[in-house]
Parts: sequence; structure tokens; C-alpha cells
Amino acid sequence: MRGLWRALLALVAGTAATVVGLVLVRRRIGRLRFERGLAAAQLAVRGGLRYAGSAPRLFAAAGESRERLRNDLAMQTADDVTATLGTMKGVMVKLGQMASYVDDGLAPSVRRTLGRLQDSVPPMSPELAAGMIEAELGGPPDRIFERWDPEPIAAASIGQVHRAITADGLAVAVKVQYPGIAEMMAADLDNVSLLRRMLRVTAPSQDVDGLIDELRERVLEELDYRKEAVNQQRLHGYFAGHPTISVPAIVAELSTRRVVTSELVTGARFADIASWSQAERDLAGETLYRFVFRSLYEVHAFNGDPHPGNYLFHGGGKVTFLDFGMVKHFTPIDLLPLMQMARNLCVDDDPGRFRASLEEAGFLVPGAPLSDAEVADHLAVFYQLIRRSESVTVTSDYASAVVRRFFDVRSPVAQYARIPRSYVILQRINLGLFALLGEMKATANWRAIAEEIWPFMQAPPSTPMGRDELPWLASRPALAAELTQAQ
Amino acid sequence: MNEYADAAGLVARSAAAYAESIPAEPADDGLFGPASVAWRMSGDLSSPVAGLRALLIQALHPLAMAGVDQHSGWRADPVGRLAATSAYLATITFGERGAAERAASRVRRIHQRVTGVDPFTGGDYAASDPQLLLWVHAALIDSNIVARELFGTPLQDADADSYIEEMVVAAELVGVPAVMVPASRASLAQYLDAARPQLACSPAARESMGYLLDPPGLDEDLADIWQDIREAAIVSLPEWARELYGYRAPVLTPARRNEIRQALGVLDAVFLGEPGVLEARQRIILRMRAAVRA
Repeated sequence: MRGLWRALLALVAGTAATVVGLVLVRRRIGRLRFERGLAAAQLAVRGGLRYAGSAPRLFAAAGESRERLRNDLAMQTADDVTATLGTMKGVMVKLGQMASYVDDGLAPSVRRTLGRLQDSVPPMSPELAAGMIEAELGGPPDRIFERWDPEPIAAASIGQVHRAITADGLAVAVKVQYPGIAEMMAADLDNVSLLRRMLRVTAPSQDVDGLIDELRERVLEELDYRKEAVNQQRLHGYFAGHPTISVPAIVAELSTRRVVTSELVTGARFADIASWSQAERDLAGETLYRFVFRSLYEVHAFNGDPHPGNYLFHGGGKVTFLDFGMVKHFTPIDLLPLMQMARNLCVDDDPGRFRASLEEAGFLVPGAPLSDAEVADHLAVFYQLIRRSESVTVTSDYASAVVRRFFDVRSPVAQYARIPRSYVILQRINLGLFALLGEMKATANWRAIAEEIWPFMQAPPSTPMGRDELPWLASRPALAAELTQAQ
Repeated sequence: MNEYADAAGLVARSAAAYAESIPAEPADDGLFGPASVAWRMSGDLSSPVAGLRALLIQALHPLAMAGVDQHSGWRADPVGRLAATSAYLATITFGERGAAERAASRVRRIHQRVTGVDPFTGGDYAASDPQLLLWVHAALIDSNIVARELFGTPLQDADADSYIEEMVVAAELVGVPAVMVPASRASLAQYLDAARPQLACSPAARESMGYLLDPPGLDEDLADIWQDIREAAIVSLPEWARELYGYRAPVLTPARRNEIRQALGVLDAVFLGEPGVLEARQRIILRMRAAVRA
């Protein structure tokens, strides 16, 4: 269990420097690909393969006998949920998921612990799931829905997903939370003395209480499915009419704090597109990029969970985005420094102003004994895709280099670097999006696309997809004035 | 002063011993069976606290302590000794009858050779003495109940009585006549009270328990959690035991209790991460559920 404390908190804080050595994001995704290939389920959700690919040995029995064992082990009562996920285990499962795309950086024993912990969570029995539907929606599933599939099609972090057809004939995915889990995890996150003790060792130079607050807020938000429904519906609305980005609509009348119902969408998994043509993968990569930065700069929202399981691919660059449980909202004021940093370094090539923007946002201790060039060089890797207007292929090596730099404590700059609380989740752009693009070997002129999206530029379309966006762009609301004026 | 080996690998070796002791396709349901309280008792978060508390109490009988001190050689391999004890307990609880009896007869055979004179009291001891075996038994049963009460999932009163009664068989296995063994909470409490005059903290007890409370060589994370287990075990001791050792009674605030429980939860998750442990627990759950259905 060596390093467990440190690793767990590193996942949260993204400051795993003390434990994370060389991070090979590439290998991790390679394994995901294998697991996903075993998937029978068509609907992708986080951890969706838990029941099939990486399940414990007992589950590995073939066919019918596996089904039987799975049902025999199912959680039948709220007490079973407590025994399985109470006393920090639910929190650890959640942390493990948050870390899933950097976990090659974790000690093997820590990775194993987190993986096995996920495996140890069996599905709810059909009766327990039906009980949750009844408690939340006011009737048993076969009365609330036209058709209800009692077998879950996938596991979510703190619940499971069932297929159903509504009375109106709409095929939906219904995410049902485990009973009592929200209260248990909230209690564990309200008693933070253990977490604080762990963090003090891990990240002594960081604002420990701030990190814990951020973690608690994000996880508690995710426990309330109404927040997820609101986030998802908002993004669904914003991207309505977009040529390649789509977010399934929420069925509001069938969504509550513990149950969330959305349109059922099927499509290819991340693993499947490995066999697609490079041109197709490039288009999908472009859509991922546009989605992340348009959400960030235009909706001021970032999905903190860029897990490969959260995308469905339809060809022609069309992608469906799923699972908005961990969305961080920013104010334009929060985002302004990020945009200024990009502008200072990439557009104006002005390391002095770049540094001033970093200090202003709290990323760098003011007055650190470093030259502007040292600071710029240290962070340049994060901007490598957009330094110049040219076609760039994202590689796994690049993604690994980003992660290594992120966790690099040895450089003279590292000791003066900080991650202000409101940007903690944002680091997942670097760790998650680039890992996916690298795995896809996606090629594009990312800088030209960024110029289209940067509110202070709003450059004309640089690609066919950009041109296809024009009608959608014309119909959407105006951007925040603060962001259009970044200096 | 004896040389001790360090305690590296404690979790891994205990876990391996546990996993191997839970049979995959047993011919019978063993001494207790899947409907027993004994089965339900196992696997509680509080188990490490119960184990340490039991050792602390057992060591206060100078003759029992002398037998361990002079014969078991546990200093050379303390982790192996603890793992062997976990394996024994798992085997007599979940193993087939034959396996339980074989394990017990091995223990009885070893006990035959353990005799001597306790340097502290000057008394003769024999490990096969039913009085000593009963002391060890009673301390363990009491600790399992108390640790659970304080840090785990408390038992219903009736379940506690049933558990104590079920466990009479375990004492018989190592050679204590059933008539001597407390079979209810009241008689267990009576027995523990009556034993008090024989108890003392011998130098051997002080030294050995000093090691157990602060074992060298633990992985850094486990060493951190061990502080919680140690505090929990000392809190859970009866006042007279703390006095014999000269430990101050730590104050257990609700917040501190919570922190300890969380640390035990993390430790349990780590235990679960060891090879075979999850499968072993699933085997137990499946059999318990089948027993409920039947």
C-alpha cells in the first residue's frame, strides 16, 4: 500500500509530484481499449465496463453462470450498499475514477487497490433499483415507463444505468443512484481530518483546506443528479443545431436528485475508432477540441471528467458527449487570465506579460527569482499545439510529456508554481483531452481552430467543420464582453 | 534484549493467509455454518483493532505471555506469526470441519512442547493448560465484541450472546473442556473479572507489546494508520488493563472516532486490493446468501 495516502490526494489536487514518477498515459489508454473491446453494452458511461472487462474472477465465468453469480452478489439492501461503499470506500472509488487517466503514474499497488475497489462494487439487484425508482419517481418502474430493462447495462460511479422506453415512446438511459450513498459520502467528506492529514504530507506547499473544499464541492455536486441534469440540459441547448457536437436531452419529468433520465444514444466507443481511418479520427479530434474550448470560453463550463467512456462517435466528426456529473462553472473573470496567458505567449510572444498574467491568476508566486524566459520555457509544453499556425499531430509522447511536466517537481520553476483552487479541475484538460487526442494521433491546425474560438479573436472558419458551424454560430447568444476584450 | 525482525509485508501476508483459508468448493459448512453469527462477525472494519486489543489483554497473563515469549520465536518473523494466527482463525471459522480439526490438532501438538518456568512469577506453565487457553480465548471473543461496538457495526445483544455461545466450540478445539467456557455475555464478563488477580504486566509483556504498538519497518502509509489502530486498541481496553500497562486513557471525541473509522475503512480497502481477498469475501457472501434462501 506504499504511497496510498499521497497518491489519493495527488489525484485530487493534481499535485502528485511526490509520488508520480513517469506517467505513461499511452499505456493506460491502450488497456482501456482492450477492456472496452469486450463491451456488450452500447451505452457508454463511466466505468461502464466494470461488469464485463475488469470484473473479479468470479464474474469471469462464462455466460449464464456469470449472470447468475452477478445477480447472487448484487446489493440487495441499503445495508449492502453501506457495507460495500461506506466508511471512505465510496470516496476512494470516486477518487480512483478521477484518477483513471493518470493512473500509470500511480504505484502499482495503489492502482491495484483502486481497481479492485471498483471491482468490489456489484450492481444493485433489480428489486433494489426498482425501489429507488419508486422512491424517486413515485411508482414502480413498469408503471413509470412503458418498458423497463431490469438488468443494468452499465455501472456509473455511484449508481447504474438501465435502459427504458418512456410512455411517449422515447428510448432513454436511466441512471439510478445507490440508496444512501450520497449521505454516506457526504458524511465522509464532512469529516475531513483524515483527508487533511493525508494532504498535509502530500502537498505541504498547497492550500490544503482549499483543495479539500474544492474536492468536497465537486463530489457533493456529483451526488445530486439534479445538478447534472441542469448542466447537461444547458449544454444540450447551447450546442443544439451544432453540426458535429451533440449532448443528449434530459427528460426533466423523470429526473430527480437520485435518478436522471436522458435520451438513449448509441454509437461507437473510443476503443472502436482505433480501427477507423486517420481522416475520421482527425475529424473526431477536432470536434473534441471544439467542444472543450467552446464549453469553456462560451458556456464558462468545463466537464471535469474527460474519460474515454464519455464519448460516442458517429463518423464524419460527429460526437455525442455524455455524463456531466462533474462540471465546473467559471465566471468570465476566472477565465480571463487563462485567455490572457494564451494570448501573451502564443499571439504576442511576450514572456514578460505572460508571467504577469500567471502571477495575477495565482499560478506563480510573485517575485520568484526566475527569468521571464525560464518561466515561459517551463510552461511552453502546455501551449505547444497552439504556438504557431500550422498543422500539428498530437502524439502519445506529447501527452506524456505534458503530464510529466505537470508532475515535474525538480525544475527550478516548480517550487514557485501553484494551482489556485478554482483551476484545480481545469488541469484535466491537459491530462485528459491531450491524452485522448494523442491516442487518436489527431492532426489539425489547432492554433487556427483556437483563433476561431478565442473570444478576443473569433477568427473566420479555418476548416470545413468551422464553416459548417456558421449557421449555428449565427444563432447563439453573444459572448461575455469581458472575454472578448482579453489583452 | 531480543532482536526483532521488521514488520514489512504485514497486509500482504495477512491477506494471502486469509484468502487461502476460505475454501472454494467446501464439502461441508464447517463448525459454524453460513447462518452463524460467527460468519457475520468476520470481516468487520474493526478487526485490526480487535486483534491488537486481544493481544494486549492476553499478554497480561504472565504465564500465557511467558509461553509465547520463550517458545514461539515470533521475534524472528512477527508478521508470519500474525499471518498464521489469521489463517488459523479463518480456517476454523470458514474451513471444512476436517480442515478446522487438522489446524487445531496442529496447534495442540505445538502446545504440548511449550512448557517452562515463568521468570516473572516463578510459576510453571504449560501451553496446553486449559486455564491459559481459556484466557486467550476469552480475551479474543471479548475483543471482537468490544472493538465492533466502538469502531465497527455493533452487534445486537442477542447476537452477542449467540456469538459467545457459538465460539465455545473454538475453545474446545484447542483443548478447553466445554464446561469451563463462558457461553453468554454475563458469564464472559464474570470470567474476566474473576481472572483479574492473576494478571500483571511482566517485563516480557511490556517489551512485546511495546513492539506491537510501534512495529518498525511498516510501509509508511500503514505506519500512519497503525497509529490510529493503536489508539483505538488502547481506548477500547478495560480500565484495569490500561492501568496495568500504565497507559493513559486517550479521550475519544466523536471526531477522532470518525477519523479512526475512516482510517480503518481505507485499510480495509487496501486489504481488499490484495490478491484473492475479494474473491474470498465473495465466496463467503454467496454461501451466506444461499443459507438465507434455504
